[in-house]
Amino acid sequence: MAGTELQHLIKMMNQISDNMALTENDELAAARVADHIKRFWARSMKEKIISYASSDGEMLQGVSMAAIRLLQPRP
Amino acid sequence: MLRFFDADKDYGTPVADVAATDVVSLSIDGRQVQVPAGTSIMRAAGQLDIDIPKLCATDSLQAFGSCRLCLVKIEGSKGVSAACTTPVEAGLVVHTQTEKVIRLRRNLMELYISDHPLDCSTCPADGDCELQDTAAALGVSASRYGFEGENHCAAEKDTSHTYFTFDASKCIVCSRCVRACEEIQGTYALTIEGRGFESRVVAGQAENFEDSECVSCGACVQACPTTSLLENSVIDRGLPQRSVVTTCAYCGVGCAFKAELRGDEVVRMVPYKDGAANSGHSCVKGRFAYTYATHQDRVTTPMIRSSIDEPWQVVSWDEAVTFAAGRIRAIQSKYGRESVGGITSSRCTNEETYLVQKLVRAAFGNNNVDTCARVCHSPTGYGLKTTMGESAGTQTFASVDKADVIMVIGANPTDAHPVFASRLKKRLRQGARLIVADPRRIDLVKSPHVRADYHLELLPGTNVALINAIAHVIVTEGLEAKEFIAGRCEQVAFESWKRFISQPRNSPDAMAAVTGVASEKLVAAARLFASADNGAIYYGLGVTEHSQGSTMVMGIANLAMLTGNIGREGVGVNPLRGQNNVQGACDMGSFPHELPGYRHVSDASVRGLFEKHWGVKIDDEPGLRIPNMFDAAVSGSFKGLYCQGEDIAQSDPDIQHVEAALRSLECLIVQDLFLNETAKFAHVFLPGASFLEKDGTFTNAERRISPVRKVMEPLSGKADWEATMALSNALGYTMNYKHPSEIMDEIASLTPTFSGVSYEKLAESGSLQWPCTEDAPDGTPIMHVDEFVRGQGLFAITEYVATDEKVNKRFPLLLTTGRILSQYNVGSQTRRTENQNWHSEDVLEIHPHDAEDRGINDRELVRVCSRAGDTVLRADITDRVQPGVVYTTFHHPQTGTNVITTDNSDWATNCPEYKVTAVQVNKVTGVSEWQARREVFSARQIAFMEQADS
Repeated sequence: MAGTELQHLIKMMNQISDNMALTENDELAAARVADHIKRFWARSMKEKIISYASSDGEMLQGVSMAAIRLLQPRP
Repeated sequence: MLRFFDADKDYGTPVADVAATDVVSLSIDGRQVQVPAGTSIMRAAGQLDIDIPKLCATDSLQAFGSCRLCLVKIEGSKGVSAACTTPVEAGLVVHTQTEKVIRLRRNLMELYISDHPLDCSTCPADGDCELQDTAAALGVSASRYGFEGENHCAAEKDTSHTYFTFDASKCIVCSRCVRACEEIQGTYALTIEGRGFESRVVAGQAENFEDSECVSCGACVQACPTTSLLENSVIDRGLPQRSVVTTCAYCGVGCAFKAELRGDEVVRMVPYKDGAANSGHSCVKGRFAYTYATHQDRVTTPMIRSSIDEPWQVVSWDEAVTFAAGRIRAIQSKYGRESVGGITSSRCTNEETYLVQKLVRAAFGNNNVDTCARVCHSPTGYGLKTTMGESAGTQTFASVDKADVIMVIGANPTDAHPVFASRLKKRLRQGARLIVADPRRIDLVKSPHVRADYHLELLPGTNVALINAIAHVIVTEGLEAKEFIAGRCEQVAFESWKRFISQPRNSPDAMAAVTGVASEKLVAAARLFASADNGAIYYGLGVTEHSQGSTMVMGIANLAMLTGNIGREGVGVNPLRGQNNVQGACDMGSFPHELPGYRHVSDASVRGLFEKHWGVKIDDEPGLRIPNMFDAAVSGSFKGLYCQGEDIAQSDPDIQHVEAALRSLECLIVQDLFLNETAKFAHVFLPGASFLEKDGTFTNAERRISPVRKVMEPLSGKADWEATMALSNALGYTMNYKHPSEIMDEIASLTPTFSGVSYEKLAESGSLQWPCTEDAPDGTPIMHVDEFVRGQGLFAITEYVATDEKVNKRFPLLLTTGRILSQYNVGSQTRRTENQNWHSEDVLEIHPHDAEDRGINDRELVRVCSRAGDTVLRADITDRVQPGVVYTTFHHPQTGTNVITTDNSDWATNCPEYKVTAVQVNKVTGVSEWQARREVFSARQIAFMEQADS
């Protein structure tokens, strides 16, 4: 079970997806969500949600997962 | 800026309400004067500095013509005329000092005096009485009519009111108080009862002032020419000897006041006639509730302690900031640079919030700075910046004077922004139409001479569904402002939005099931708003404090653009800001992602400007917001917080989570006037300074920057900006400002929208609305006039997404929270004034049906329980709330209203969803566990402080 901080991050992430993914184009939706996270989330919050997505990610919606992939530095 | 009148002078009648180009020329006492048509002879004479005696006339009220002291002779007309009620005409020749009018005036004054106590030398208002001054000016010191006849000199005083006394023996029944209550305040609490000799001023239904509908705004006291109505503070302490013009520190209206002093003691606060935000009006808080500044609870010495389980130790400022800096640096060494942060205060000045964010970014070396706007209007910043390009309201308060249809959404101006509410009600009495969208029947829905055309009584949490349905009606019926949209807005975005909003799922019929608002009513309201020549939207925290707060702000912006209601007087999007300097705190870079002027920290060129001036590198990543700080504290990565002038342990949601966060900190520095709830968890207490103790500026909801002026020395020896400087210097980052004006100069040099602001210019103009730049040297009253700040307006898609806070069997009611007139936010100021007499506890408003279902009687103790926690308070059974909805305030710490509110928040900004909490209510006989725990903890912490004092 995720701790309170992570639970809140997951909830916020999915909430952003619910409110921003207002297009049938999944790529565009993910890009919007990723941009929002880049602009408004602190470094530590991004690191924690990326870490969760990499290790588990079960509670994240599809758009959220796609957005988080865009946040990760490309290899 | 040129001034055409003297703010301190009473011209007897108001400025004529006509175009300035329509000018009339006339002669008064042989001198020519030109004035706008419609001006009274009395005002025209005043412009020539010719004083015509008056008692019933004052320039804040319409002419009444009852005292007859202003009689003048007009050549060619029969008899004499009252200068106050006679308008100028071209070519009039007026004489104000003929033998006849002087004789008449003296005779009238003798009649007045014959029914007035001859106690001037012992009257507390001796020297500040218009009757006394006018009698002296007329050379009347006695009355030929004698004092033996029937008179009112033995009339009883009404001493019922908390803040003023009505001495009927001194009343001349000029009706100024009655008219002030009607014309200025709009409450209609006073009237003249009886006729002729029997006529007298009465409050309510012949009640005393305290028991009447009086809202204690003080307008009647201000208007009284004989000091029949007089502040108790003046009666007790004597008349003031000097005054300083400053800005109120309560709500976001930002009223200008004259702080009137006797020695160094404030004797009264008098609304300043030249105040652009308030035009000489006030409310009970700004006018009377200022004594908290010298309350015995003020903590005026710095204190430190190693742990919150230890007593406080009183120390010097140097010791306190050295201790604090040492702890912060130790935390950063152990846990990292990002393990500490700061919170700026919307109660402090622009200069002070600027310094706190500077300290965090430059001395702490991160962007972990936030402000209480996080928990109120952060969605306004996001929503308006996205759609229009600027994080601020678009108008002046005076703009409402030209509105034809006014929509008030999720705001309760008569309680939370009373001075603006009076202006709004005046416009409604002139015929403007009103739509109220609120789950609760606020006073604006139905009050004297004000009736809302439509009250859209929606369910909490359904704002977006409502605004979408309104827009749907306008679009599908072709009522949109096509020319405005084509010329001013992004077309691709508009077409996309139009397709979205036209879909049947956004129709009033479809949304009625969600909002609870009948589709017929909503359609009628939408048509009314769309048909307005000037439609204006005013909104408050009932819009922002939702899981879709930002979406709703964008929905409001969409509606304003859709109907072409942007860019001129009488229209616009008007966020009613909660605290005095919420706008300013946001402007000053208090958000973790933005530097001053709303510029993102990722913008290298902007960072470069600040880095060059501040001599440090600035992090290019946003910092933690307040809720994120709490989460990080609980998880163990956030360990130090500098909190200036906010009581997060009372004001923020899910208090038990906040308490857990505060307990986990290794250094909490609280800077405040009092040992507030947050300070009870602190390790360092830095005494704060009230608004009376410092210089600076506040920025109100109209973007108006107004001067705050020091009227007394800081009780602790330091103003808040000086305390922040001391802390910064102790941290090794040097700040060396000699005066807040130097801080403003720095702000102006680094912030384009403030580039034209300086203390010199503020002194000259009184106030300035930003943007104040080279192109707009006198400021910008109306935003987005020719184009939007972002270029073209953006219609944002506003899909309704239901909140997670839904009623169920366990929690079948929805709680929504708000403010009351006499108290202010967490109440730390107003609870320490006599306002406490009117609201000594928070109560739970519950509909009679819901109360009956639960066997609850009025005033009984009830437990309110949510998934976050529970608390106990008294029930107030009222149909002001609809069935299924309960309401309370959060002014008293022992109530713990925010124990119930949850961690739900706005998707874009993390602004808490205070307005929607699913709860259950049941009858109980004792306090909650949390309340019992708090009582013990609070008593222990107060004892720790008392030990320090001893």
